[in-house]
Amino acid sequence: MRFVDEFRSGELAQKLVHELATLVEPGRTLKIMEVCGGHTHAIYKHGIEDLVPPEIDYVHGPGCPVCVIPMGRVDDAIALAERPEVIFTTFGDMMRVPGGRGSLLEAKARGADVRMVYSPLDALELARRNPEREVIFFAIGFETTAPATAVTLLRARKEGIRNFSAFCNHVTIGPPLKAILDSPGLQLDAFIAPGHVSTVIGTRPYDFIVRDYAKPVVVTAFEPIDILHATVMLVRQLREGRCEVENQYTRVVRRDGNPRALAALEETMELRDTFEWRGLGWIEQSALKLRPELADWDAEARFELPGTRIDDPKACQCGEVLIGAIKPWECKVFGTACTPERPIGTCMVSSEGACAAYYNYGRLQRRRDRVPA
Amino acid sequence: MTLDAEHCITCGDIAVTATVVQVDGATATVDVDGTREQVGIELVEPVVVGELLLCHAGVALEKVADAP
Repeated sequence: MRFVDEFRSGELAQKLVHELATLVEPGRTLKIMEVCGGHTHAIYKHGIEDLVPPEIDYVHGPGCPVCVIPMGRVDDAIALAERPEVIFTTFGDMMRVPGGRGSLLEAKARGADVRMVYSPLDALELARRNPEREVIFFAIGFETTAPATAVTLLRARKEGIRNFSAFCNHVTIGPPLKAILDSPGLQLDAFIAPGHVSTVIGTRPYDFIVRDYAKPVVVTAFEPIDILHATVMLVRQLREGRCEVENQYTRVVRRDGNPRALAALEETMELRDTFEWRGLGWIEQSALKLRPELADWDAEARFELPGTRIDDPKACQCGEVLIGAIKPWECKVFGTACTPERPIGTCMVSSEGACAAYYNYGRLQRRRDRVPA
Repeated sequence: MTLDAEHCITCGDIAVTATVVQVDGATATVDVDGTREQVGIELVEPVVVGELLLCHAGVALEKVADAP
């Protein structure tokens, strides 16, 4: 496949791994946080952690949008889905995320009209075809996904489709990174920044990480060669005493992102004062809501929501996993009470969640074997 | 954009590079490894047949430089 095969070359991977081996200082661990859940998934799917020298320690960040949705918002979604006039549409991974009252999948089993879509534009099409129903789209995701919601809202407004609305839970990547960098005692040496978020926002929003925290950043894509190349670039920066935002994903990411996508976001959404992140708590100006001008398409403005805040299950350590404080296999319930089939925490639900990535790619037994006594 | 079962659509974690085969207003028909899909192209217009687009959740996010 184009843009895939050439980025999975074993020969090139070996060259990069060899270069890494010459760059690391034996015995000195470098903690590199891959911010995006897509990178976490790729690292374990392709066995990258086993290829790189033991001095490279990938720490999994908060960039799985499914994993950071708090349980109360899932309950709000279920309350919307259970309204008889509503067709509630959602990306597939959100179906199984447990809230305080079960999951959307369970609500569907009880009779709610919950449907999986691949695009908010599919939800808009459902609204066109079902004028007697209210179609609500469960809008979640970082700046990668928010533009699709924005485009859909602009089309709905232009076409005057009034039976479509979005339940907006879009989040932004900068504030949680700052929250992690401000966490006491957290030891990180460098960041692998998300590729597709950066397609939209560009590389400038990461400047504060090098300026204020002196941590190198490399934006990269999701194939194994991309991730290895980004790792080499980061270790080279550390080795040479440089601290910069570098862009490995030059085939799509520009310094200023996609101005038209940013304009569509600006036209439809604005920052919330604060938003609750699973595992990270309330973070100021870290999420988006629809602008008042789009209230007619805003499910939060149009329908009553319970808005109840729910504590995460006590046994679940998703919060510590999400900030990289522990590895998934160090969680008390990992692989026992919490599995992809019956997840307790969101990190086990999404395939991009760090726990599911470990679980699905056979890390369970081996990691336990490597747990220090 | 349809992704395979092991990927979460919300992340758009794979570089879904699609080739434009037809343009109809704000929608393009694209080819991804033999599969035809429709994507919104408001954020990358104008596009022409043969161009490569990075697509996520039914919307083209950016044009992809041809030479990797």
